[in-house]
Amino acid sequence: MQQEASVRAEAPSKAAIQFRQGSAIRQLWETNLEVFQRDRMALFGLFIFAVFAIVAIFAPQIAPNNPLTPLKNNEGDWIKDAMPYWLAEPGEDEAEGYSNTFLLGTTNIGRDIYSQLIHGSRSALLVGFSAAAAVAVIGTVVGLLAGYYGGWVDAVLMRAADVAFGIPFIPFIIVISAFMDPSIWNVVVAMAVLLWRDTGRVIRSQVLVIKEQAFVSAARVSGASDLRIIFVYIAPSILPLSFLYGSFAIAWAILTEASVSFLGFSDPETISWGFMLQDAFNSLALSREAFYWIVPPGLCIMLTVMAGFFIGRGYEEVLFPRLRRM
Amino acid sequence: MSILSIRDLKVEYATQDGAVEAVDGVSLNVAEGQHLGLIGESGCGKTTLLKAIVQVLPRNGRVSGGKIMFKGMDLMQLPAAEMRQLRWREIATIPQASMDSLNPVQRVGSQLMKLLRVRGGFDKRAARRRAVDLFDMVGLDTERLMHYPHEFSGGMKQRAVIAMALALEPSLLIADEPVTALDVIVQHQILEVLRELEEELNLTVMLITHDISVVAQVCDSVAVMYAGRIVEQAAAEPFFASPAHPYSLGLQQAFPNLARPRDVLVSIEGYPPDLREPPAGCRFAERCPFVQEACKEHDPRLEIVGDNRLAACLRTNEMDALRVQAEDPTLWQHVEVAQLVGQPPPKSPPTGQCLRDPIAMERDLNAPPLAANSVETLPLPDASDARHRDGGKGPGGGVDDILLEMRDVSKRFKIGGGLAGLLRGDKEQTVYAVNNISFTLRRGESLGLAGESGCGKSTTGKLLVKLLDASDGEIVFAGEELSGVDDKDLLAFRSRVQLMFQNPFEALNPRFTLYRSLTEPLIIHGWKDENERTQRVVETLDRVNLRPAEVFLDKYPHQLSGGQLQRVVLARALVLHPDFLVADEPVSMLDVSVRAGILNTTRRLARELGLATVYISHDLSLLQYTCDRIAIMYLGEIVEIGPSDEVINNPQHPYTQALIAAVPVPDPTVENPPLRIREGVPRPTEQFAGCPFAQRCPEVMEACLSVRPPLIADERAHQAQCHLYGEHHKSPKLNHDGAAPR
Repeated sequence: MQQEASVRAEAPSKAAIQFRQGSAIRQLWETNLEVFQRDRMALFGLFIFAVFAIVAIFAPQIAPNNPLTPLKNNEGDWIKDAMPYWLAEPGEDEAEGYSNTFLLGTTNIGRDIYSQLIHGSRSALLVGFSAAAAVAVIGTVVGLLAGYYGGWVDAVLMRAADVAFGIPFIPFIIVISAFMDPSIWNVVVAMAVLLWRDTGRVIRSQVLVIKEQAFVSAARVSGASDLRIIFVYIAPSILPLSFLYGSFAIAWAILTEASVSFLGFSDPETISWGFMLQDAFNSLALSREAFYWIVPPGLCIMLTVMAGFFIGRGYEEVLFPRLRRM
Repeated sequence: MSILSIRDLKVEYATQDGAVEAVDGVSLNVAEGQHLGLIGESGCGKTTLLKAIVQVLPRNGRVSGGKIMFKGMDLMQLPAAEMRQLRWREIATIPQASMDSLNPVQRVGSQLMKLLRVRGGFDKRAARRRAVDLFDMVGLDTERLMHYPHEFSGGMKQRAVIAMALALEPSLLIADEPVTALDVIVQHQILEVLRELEEELNLTVMLITHDISVVAQVCDSVAVMYAGRIVEQAAAEPFFASPAHPYSLGLQQAFPNLARPRDVLVSIEGYPPDLREPPAGCRFAERCPFVQEACKEHDPRLEIVGDNRLAACLRTNEMDALRVQAEDPTLWQHVEVAQLVGQPPPKSPPTGQCLRDPIAMERDLNAPPLAANSVETLPLPDASDARHRDGGKGPGGGVDDILLEMRDVSKRFKIGGGLAGLLRGDKEQTVYAVNNISFTLRRGESLGLAGESGCGKSTTGKLLVKLLDASDGEIVFAGEELSGVDDKDLLAFRSRVQLMFQNPFEALNPRFTLYRSLTEPLIIHGWKDENERTQRVVETLDRVNLRPAEVFLDKYPHQLSGGQLQRVVLARALVLHPDFLVADEPVSMLDVSVRAGILNTTRRLARELGLATVYISHDLSLLQYTCDRIAIMYLGEIVEIGPSDEVINNPQHPYTQALIAAVPVPDPTVENPPLRIREGVPRPTEQFAGCPFAQRCPEVMEACLSVRPPLIADERAHQAQCHLYGEHHKSPKLNHDGAAPR
């Protein structure tokens, strides 16, 4: 019998065993893959992010001019309010002493709008992804701890979440900006401090459900430690949920950064789409019908936010299959 | 004159992999006043048949052939509006789990009256009168009309649902699993209501269930479904006396019967055929012990085999001989049962005799050593050690054999407290889940814990495996008190004590392969060598009859059937070779046909490995089958304990007597005695001056209300915690109504 068993034991191949060992990570990968295979919209969102990511990385190479330096004509004056070359009347540029190569024209102090747009993707993605990562990580950890340990850990964390829910978001950022140097990181900090609340709550409730399932009790009866149960048994089941909230947080962060910049609480040395909008608004671009100044940053904000929500929606469909019918 | 007549009905479900004929050529007649029981395992098409009759098939289902005639009307041809009129007025249904279908935000009475007024055309006053009558009829207090569903117990909700179904005086009532998921006492009361109503109203009833004993109690005829077809149809008495189809034979043998306990129950091995590609021959052929070559080629038709009996089997003319053969359980379950049969009857203590069986002997080589404090010493104890351990143990053995001792253990939960409760102003309440229970368990012994839901039996199970810590009292395992163990000792304890869960579909991590699930305990207990782990996993899968084991390693839980999953759960419990196993309702979620298989495997392995077992179940017949001793729990206390046969055959405590009287017997000639106990378990937050059972007890005496009955002192003997057997037995009796204290 012993011998027989050992003979049998050799039957599963080495490869099969290794395959099995990697299964947790593989499954997570498969879940992510499924999201994008199932949902064209999510794939489209991913595509948008990819495009913006490439633009952001190669911004200095793509942008024809420095976005902050006012451009000057032959006489050393700023090229103010130049129209895009495809709109400007031919010959006007030569009369003013420069050659109009500006895809989207210039601002009222002679900055190249197209270059600003390109550089704006950097702060958008930087804020978006770092805020999303902060929100997802903090929220997930809080949710896991509160849900798993319960008792006073849960009470403290969830009351903290209640407090976070009670603080109005935009005013909070304004206050933070008032105390700190203006920087796009204010938005990230504010989101990390406040917005983990939603993720934390949802993940906690999910953990409460999973924790009561028999396979978790079985692990405990087998002697698994708390950490092992949290990270081997529970975390893989709720990670897609973190991704879901993470992708929504990307969109929120970009929107928030735009709002804060538009309100004028951003760093004037960092170009962002929100800052561009504020700049345009302050210099009365609207009344001059300079749509080429206003629409492109608006469009970019819209696209990245949409991309975030598309991906989020894809996760939702995989996580909550009932949505698919609607 | 038949009220419902189904001819050659076919129902098809469109699925991703093509059409599935869930009902395939069913013909059935239900005569007026007949009470037909439709039995079969899950997935055999019972519920689909019901849905086809009332035409509420899901969107992907359709009737693809045949006729359903109701009172001369062809239901298939009936316009939708008329069909709607027919439902509830003529054909009333009690769907599965219908007690959860009451609207939680409306009073039960107004739901009932709304139905009467909208569907029945009653005016307000007539509806109220009728509602009162209906509640009376199903045995509900008419004050209850004003209550909301959450104020009802499960049994009361089911009564209300029956009242609603009967509100418009239908001529046909179809009930789908009306008593499943109810406690045995409530189940008994609901069946009684059904039985009374059948007589009173001359109802025609079609009862769909997997439980043949329910059918025996309320039906006068039986139809057995298997894989979308009816395989046998007969009057109840001849059906239970002499089934005419091998599947019916198997079902009967699979059912534990308190009145006539069997030494070995059978399980019908294998699984129903895949209906996407039904076999050419008999659909039961693959699982049939009497299969012949012809069965695989010829599809038997439902034919008349005697007086008013139909069966679909090629060997019906040999059935008398086959019935005799079927009595031999080895016929059904070859290896497993052979081992159980070759041993002393289940009730006697396990002895070294199992070593007679060569397979068992080899298996015993793997039994764990006694003092397995570190896991490294676990594998390969020598044979003499195992044999030594196996000899001379059991209930009669010495004190050294005590593996586990519970001493006055209590578990209390606080509810409504905490910060949120404080802010809301809720009063903190204490739930007394387990109250001062004591018992001992010897090595290799099996103890059953029984009682209604909420009696604390599952909590006791969790205390035993230290999923919960006791509030009071001591639990001593292998000489060590558990409350103060440090982490290292706790890990050692964890390797020796395991739990088997009720719901196999939840007990395994859906993200893990079976290999991963089974290897986890080994990793946790420090088995470093991958090959050794794999070897142990394969060996354990083999032990629980999942063969060949390699096939299962890379499967995920959702790819297995419930019975297979429960075997995996058992394998995971045994992979560390524990000394003690707690099985919490191990088969209640499984189909009858595979239950016995799981129980037999568990019993066999417990014997082979010298495992002490605690079975937790509401099903007394199951416990009688598997356990040496039974303890009956009520409101967190053990009210009676003793050797299984004695507790079942000679119950002392009035509560035990009621529990046993309530178990339906799978024999239509035996009618259950009426229950004398009152409905309604008190809240577990109540504290009692006297006996906690006094409120419901038919034998209640004055002393019961004020004096606690003495605790069970010597639990080895058969004892009950009741004044009837103590110094107060001459205390004046109270009548039943005066018994309600406070």
